[in-house]
Amino acid sequence: MSTVFDNNTSIKMRIEFPKTKLIPGSMAIWAAILSEMTEFALMFIVYFLAKVHNPEIFYEGPTKLNTSAGTVNTLIMLTSSYFVVRAVMAIRENNSTSSARWLWGAVICGGLYLVIKYFEYQWNIAQGLDTHKNIFYGVYYYVTFNHFLHVGWGTAGLVWVIYRLNTGVYTKDEHEGLINMALYWHMIDLAWITIFPLLYVIR
Amino acid sequence: MCLNKLQIIDYLWLLLITLTLFSAYMAERSTPELMSVLIMAAVLAIKGRIIVDHFMELKHSHRLLRRLMQTYFYVIPALILLVYLFPEKIAKWTSLS
Repeated sequence: MSTVFDNNTSIKMRIEFPKTKLIPGSMAIWAAILSEMTEFALMFIVYFLAKVHNPEIFYEGPTKLNTSAGTVNTLIMLTSSYFVVRAVMAIRENNSTSSARWLWGAVICGGLYLVIKYFEYQWNIAQGLDTHKNIFYGVYYYVTFNHFLHVGWGTAGLVWVIYRLNTGVYTKDEHEGLINMALYWHMIDLAWITIFPLLYVIR
Repeated sequence: MCLNKLQIIDYLWLLLITLTLFSAYMAERSTPELMSVLIMAAVLAIKGRIIVDHFMELKHSHRLLRRLMQTYFYVIPALILLVYLFPEKIAKWTSLS
């Protein structure tokens, strides 16, 4: 804290906050994240509109889905986000080895998510729940497959960041690429935590 | 008790996991009554806010960006409630004929 004098020589106290970066990551990644969030928002609006026009179908729809698969994938996505946070904390301590390990944990989570979602789709089809069944399943496949693709390329992005970590590109002082990937991964997580209640829980 | 950042992140992860398991329990057990829909909307709002504020570290960051991201998790839960409470009216307003 320091003191400053104004024109009337009265003393005013000024609190000096620690200097923090105003925007985590780069402007480019935020443009991408906001675009993706808008894309998912449009899908959610389609879901809400389809629901009010087809209340019976949307009442029955979630009861036929595999809630266990949806729940496990939610736990996996949240845990992967936690691992990514730990990776960022590790690189801030200049520990790139630990950061890479945490990111590998997130990659394994991403892979597990994709495998579970693949078997969930297979299970659905075995129950006769395909894209043509009714509008609920049309929306379900459109939204979840879109998210599936995001997890796929997000996982590939994490592997790329691990490669960059291992080549010594990221340090305690310069690791914006890692932060950008972490933010993008959290966006994928945010989309899923919205999809889960809409399609699996709320009737 | 003063928690360091690592402890806060650990507890928040545990809270997110607990809220998810609670949602799954509600999905299996409850009928779609106002209270359960209200709880589901609140759970989504809380989970979204935790990830935006703490995992994305926007809590003390750029105000517009923070507000934009936080608002997302007010609007979607609000839409969940509106669609539950007024489905016929919304269907009428969004009909082409």
